Amino acid sequence: MLEIKNLHVRIEEDGTEIIKGLNLSVAAGEVAAIMGPNGSGKSTLSYVLSGKEDYEVTEGSITYNGQDLLELDVAERAAAGVFLAFQYPVEIPGVPTMTFLKEAMNAQRKERGEDELTTPDFIKRVRAAAGDLKIDFNMLKRPVNVGFSGGEKKRAEILQMSLLEPKLCILDETDSGLDIDALKIVSDGVNHLRDPNRAVIVITHYQRLLDHIVPDTVHVLSDGKIVKSGDKTLAHELEEKGYADIIAAAA
Amino acid sequence: MTAHTPRILTDAETSLIEAYAAAGNTSAERDAAIAKLKDDGLPTRRVEAFHYTDLRALLKAGYTVAARPSDDLAKTVGAKFPRLVTGASVQHFRDGHFFDFGEDVPKGATVTAELPTAKLLEGDADATALINTAFAQDGLTLSIDEGAEIEQTIGLAYAHTGTANTIAAQRFAINAAANSKSTIVYRAVGLEDVQYLSSSVVDLDIAEGATVTLTMSIEEGNLAQRLARLNVSLGKEAVLNLFILNVGGKLVRQEVNFDVVGENSELNISGVNLIGGEAHIDVTSRITHHVPNTVANETFRNVATGRGRGVFQGQINVRQAAQLTDARMACNTLLLSDNCDFSAKPELEIFADDVQCAHGATVTDLEESYMFYLMARGISETNARRMLIKAFVAEIVEEIEDEGLVEALEARIDTWMEKHV
Repeated sequence: MLEIKNLHVRIEEDGTEIIKGLNLSVAAGEVAAIMGPNGSGKSTLSYVLSGKEDYEVTEGSITYNGQDLLELDVAERAAAGVFLAFQYPVEIPGVPTMTFLKEAMNAQRKERGEDELTTPDFIKRVRAAAGDLKIDFNMLKRPVNVGFSGGEKKRAEILQMSLLEPKLCILDETDSGLDIDALKIVSDGVNHLRDPNRAVIVITHYQRLLDHIVPDTVHVLSDGKIVKSGDKTLAHELEEKGYADIIAAAA
Repeated sequence: MTAHTPRILTDAETSLIEAYAAAGNTSAERDAAIAKLKDDGLPTRRVEAFHYTDLRALLKAGYTVAARPSDDLAKTVGAKFPRLVTGASVQHFRDGHFFDFGEDVPKGATVTAELPTAKLLEGDADATALINTAFAQDGLTLSIDEGAEIEQTIGLAYAHTGTANTIAAQRFAINAAANSKSTIVYRAVGLEDVQYLSSSVVDLDIAEGATVTLTMSIEEGNLAQRLARLNVSLGKEAVLNLFILNVGGKLVRQEVNFDVVGENSELNISGVNLIGGEAHIDVTSRITHHVPNTVANETFRNVATGRGRGVFQGQINVRQAAQLTDARMACNTLLLSDNCDFSAKPELEIFADDVQCAHGATVTDLEESYMFYLMARGISETNARRMLIKAFVAEIVEEIEDEGLVEALEARIDTWMEKHV
């Protein structure tokens, strides 16, 4: 589904190279965990995949379902099924959450040549998905993420993910700022979306999240490259030995 | 000895003087106004109140006074602009002329379809007021009875019917008697791609204990030139809730003057200016607090794009007697293109020593992180921009109590965005 080859990325503003020859391939149905220390390029990778400006790809390619992902703008990527669950979802004053959700769902349906959702159908879907994630429906009457706690914001991200039914989900440190209970709810939400036709990339510092969302593959990112790949046992190894040993051994 | 060289009149000035002579609708007052216009000339940027709107350079020549259109035309043009408030009682003007379409005036209100006297205050007769005094064809006085609480919205609607290069001028007086409550919608519309000059003066007098909610929706055609003024006198314990939407016109000069003359009165002013294409929209506001213990809140949200130029001049005068005045003014602007600009000028003149006056102005582009978030959910760049612009202005529009009116105004904002964003 996703094929990243020899990717080099720098920050547009100051030219600092962050990703330095990254190779990664993720198959449909696979849950891939990307772990790495601070500053290794994890968040940059998630931004480059979703198409954020401010980053410049200087070399390499990203192919998504046979398509050159770098050719598409942010909205086109999302419409093509790429979903980024933000590490820090922004609060957008004045934009009602329900208006936002409806606009997003319909934009993607339109892209796929489907009819727009009727209002009752839309509300029904949102109610059901919110119930699964234990989100108070009244919260969705507020502007996007405004006044949400850290945990509520993360749950709202997963809510969007389940409503938009993406093909490639990227979870950027979704566990940060979550207490144990919220972690469980969010993980259940993600597990519920596991599907043979869907790939999930879980970006995290800690092995803890991977107890709940059990990955098929684990990749260690260090200094802009994948330095080691393995199965879920690699995550436990990292937890025990720390990044330094593994990275040193891989170098 | 100095030789007095007569100033050479500009084409626009000559054309106004000739249009006045040709119309033949004269009176001592009108003559005096046109003579003063001739003497002073149209204001340039050297006149402080017109610093950002050089009328001598901007006002076009070649206007003649509009004739009364046929009843048929008056109705067909009106039908192109669906009402903002269903169930309102509306008084209609076309090209400056009054048309009685037989709408019932609600109980507690009276309409007198005669041109009200021009209130030319000494030294306050700028070009906007002079042109209206000289050219006003028709007008009316709307009186709200003492103690009347009128639920039905009363509309004052003006439309230009599309004869190019014509002047349409009207004058309204609104007198809200003591302890009355009324809701009024003033609307100015015109056809696209027709150049015309629209002149409008509204004198609003709010007596003791009265509350007026006034919404002004200014939707002139894209080539229209509009010179307009609202004069407000606010009495003791009176309240004015005013909302202004500017969503059209090539040149719009909207003056809003408030004389706060009664204690414990409250002035709530808000507005949205949408400035796109080649539009030049100037809102010049002057609030004078004459007495102690009054409150004024003023907020304008502006969106400029294309080659649009926007102006907000906000003057607050606190006279020496006006102790404990609480006046707040904010002007927030989104600048969306490289070629648009916006000038914001606060002017505070405070002679009382125990007052609170605050003013603030902000200018920004759309927040990039918001754009990324919305687009990352599949919303196109254009729609994401529209959502954020809407959010920026909706906050102000949604303070209007009448939900139907809010929806109608937001629909006008959407139409503007479809064209300009």
